[in-house]
Amino acid sequence: MTNADPFDDTVRGEVYRFFVDQCRPPVAPEIAESLGSDQASVEDALRRLADAHVLVLAPGTTSIWMANPLSSIPTAFPVDVGGRTFFGNCIWDGLGIVAMLGGTGSVRTWCPDCQERLEVVVEQGRLARGDGVVHFAVPAAHWWDDIGFN
Amino acid sequence: MLLFRSEEHVETWNERRGIPRGATLTLDQQWELARIWYADRMSPAWRRRTPEEAEAVFERIGLTGGFWRLTNPSG
Repeated sequence: MTNADPFDDTVRGEVYRFFVDQCRPPVAPEIAESLGSDQASVEDALRRLADAHVLVLAPGTTSIWMANPLSSIPTAFPVDVGGRTFFGNCIWDGLGIVAMLGGTGSVRTWCPDCQERLEVVVEQGRLARGDGVVHFAVPAAHWWDDIGFN
Repeated sequence: MLLFRSEEHVETWNERRGIPRGATLTLDQQWELARIWYADRMSPAWRRRTPEEAEAVFERIGLTGGFWRLTNPSG
């Protein structure tokens, strides 16, 4: 992919920095304040980032729904890293949060079929504990057709 | 992408919902995919992968075939 607008890159960086720092995504005025910019420019950047599938916005808004692997809403994939809890969008993203934040942490979930609690533990970049099978229902070419379902 | 107790639980869940079976990964494969995919996500230098780059990641951990194809998916 070609390089994005440098301002979009800056906004993206601020989204992730804030999200990891605060355990929630920033809203446009907070990003604007941090970057010394204005809300309209930030909202334009957020829309471009969403169009490029870099972020996912809540429908009809510029509120950040997903900054993959992070979810702004609670999901069945809570992730514990460094004494803090985030939420992944799926098991891939749950483990992705652990990878993104240093490679030590755990993802909790429930088997969709029987609701048994499952936990995957990663320590220093290696799978330390966990059992199960990951199912991908949708072929890769269609992941972005309905990213909320997927 | 959901984590099930076993292949059997994937089967019963899919049958109950009338969802065709997709693809399954071991937890080792899923961790490897997550690690490669997301470890650099906070880097200022991060760029979204091209379809060709994404396919190369899938192939690296043994995910091949039409299910994982992003370039010419119907071919």
